[in-house]
Amino acid sequence: MKAWLAALLFAGASGAGLAAATVEGRVALPKTRTTPVVNQRYEIVAKSGVLSTNPPVAVVYLEGDFPAPAAGSVVQLQQKDLAFVPSLLPVQVGTRVEFPNLDDTYHNIFSFSPPKRFDLGRYRSDDRPVPSQVFDVPGLVTLRCDIHEHMRALILVLATPHFAVTDAAGNFRLTGLPAGRYKLKAWVDSRTTHERPVELAAGGILRVEFP
Amino acid sequence: MKAWRRMVAAGGLLAAGWTGASAAEESFDRLEELLTFSGQRTQWRARLSGTVDAEVYAMPRPVPGLIDSASGTLFSPRLSVFLDAQFGPATYLFAQARADRGFDPTDRGGEIRLDEVALRFRPWGGGVTVQAGKFATIVGNWAVRHGSWSNPFITAPAAYEVPTGIWDTDAIRSPNTLLQWSHLRPGLNAATLAAEKSLRVPIIWGPAYSSGVAVAGGFGPWRYAVEAKAGSLASRPDAWLHAREQRHHPTGAARIGYHPNPTWNLGLSASAGSYLREWAPGIPAGYSRGDYEQRVLAVDFAFARRHWQVWAEGFASRFTIPRVGDADVFSYYVEAKYKFGPRLSWAWRWNQQTYGDIVDRTGTRVRWGRDLWRIDAAPCWRFTPHTQFKVQYSYQRGDFDRGPEQHIGAAQFTVRF
Repeated sequence: MKAWLAALLFAGASGAGLAAATVEGRVALPKTRTTPVVNQRYEIVAKSGVLSTNPPVAVVYLEGDFPAPAAGSVVQLQQKDLAFVPSLLPVQVGTRVEFPNLDDTYHNIFSFSPPKRFDLGRYRSDDRPVPSQVFDVPGLVTLRCDIHEHMRALILVLATPHFAVTDAAGNFRLTGLPAGRYKLKAWVDSRTTHERPVELAAGGILRVEFP
Repeated sequence: MKAWRRMVAAGGLLAAGWTGASAAEESFDRLEELLTFSGQRTQWRARLSGTVDAEVYAMPRPVPGLIDSASGTLFSPRLSVFLDAQFGPATYLFAQARADRGFDPTDRGGEIRLDEVALRFRPWGGGVTVQAGKFATIVGNWAVRHGSWSNPFITAPAAYEVPTGIWDTDAIRSPNTLLQWSHLRPGLNAATLAAEKSLRVPIIWGPAYSSGVAVAGGFGPWRYAVEAKAGSLASRPDAWLHAREQRHHPTGAARIGYHPNPTWNLGLSASAGSYLREWAPGIPAGYSRGDYEQRVLAVDFAFARRHWQVWAEGFASRFTIPRVGDADVFSYYVEAKYKFGPRLSWAWRWNQQTYGDIVDRTGTRVRWGRDLWRIDAAPCWRFTPHTQFKVQYSYQRGDFDRGPEQHIGAAQFTVRF
């Protein structure tokens, strides 16, 4: 009997996988942000230089009643060339984020954001284990560096496993989605989140444009 | 007109950010974007930023340090505006303007100053940097954190703010003159103490923003910097711009640093230059300003690891005085800061300053200043990434005019934008 049930479940799961829906489209992004300026007033021996522009991107995600994430999910947000890479990181609730320092100088990451308040202190690139935090409350977390005031990054903690970051032109593609009715959201910045009800058919491809 | 609109919007956002908590973070980020300007393809970029400080002091009288106030309590507001501009990968311009009640807190009216303006460039595109303008000294490591936001304390270490008996306005003619100026004679009234205090100079006056040129670079873990500037380390803010004064007697300084990794930073500095103003009277026949020189040998140490930061500096300063000899003073401090989290940090500092001997008129060796030690404690609470509140208590002990001990309290609220 158990073997039967297991076989049925496996068949259902693989059937859902084969018939997974896809959503693709485009999000209208705000114009390119100004490139930050590095304050080096009292670092006469310092590597100055032009920082690369960080074009705005959006996070598109499917909101619904999804199962809790598998434990042990780990992603990285690096500090490289006096910048956070990537500058916008979506994660599912419960994800551990590691913050490796790839520069030959100190960084001091901290957050005052209500979903996750922490201060990692100063650590080097060869420090092990790499300092990390578990993000277990949905919401937006702003990361800063206490040493380099121009450094900033965002972690968007989501209660869904289905999300994607757009490219610089605003294009996105979400695959492997379960069929059903959901809300599709596009997070553009802390003040702008677009929302669209969607009905996903098994094996179908839905195209959505956010203004 | 566009710039005007930006400024008005910036003022509105600053006011909004002041009050809110999480909304404040966003307001300040938008303010930063408003105050950042860039050209095509970001080949040049500039940013205006700053701090607004409100400080309150409660002190014994006569007030200690370089603070100038007739009263034992003082309110000292300050607006500091910074300009940071980058032109391509090799050129950097920075400036700092302040509106306050004096470079060191006073009870006088307000003033606006351009404290720093300097151009830094890498002429050969490599590791050698040249900097010209009016900027903080390369000596030691305190200048890096002297701003109100990054300084764990409200007041400076003793070497930077305790006046010695040296005047820069008048040449010392005899050992007894120096002993008088050092206030070692008894029975001085408060008016004389206050009047003479403004004539005295410390070992190093704050970040010593005098004008000049510096060259710096590094190889491996080693860092070097040399500077030629308009004023000695002890020179007062009035003298920092007067390049003409020091044309014939510039102050030279050098620092060699060992920085094997971000945890450790060690340095050895030396500086030499005339401490007298050009118009200072009383120079004996046969001597010149160049014979009244301040020579400083300094060591500095910095350690940082996780939530700990420790700094220390030691200064051995020698004032050469014709007909008197060398007047030596040694000052050092050790300070530590611990961050308990993103909001609360606490800092402690131990300062000590001791004076050497000179030979007085009777041939007796006498100490030419009043030794002191001071302990400072300063908790700091950050409300947001842009607002913080600091409190400092200092206990100072020495052979002072009004008893052996002094208690100093200070509070500072800072908004950074």
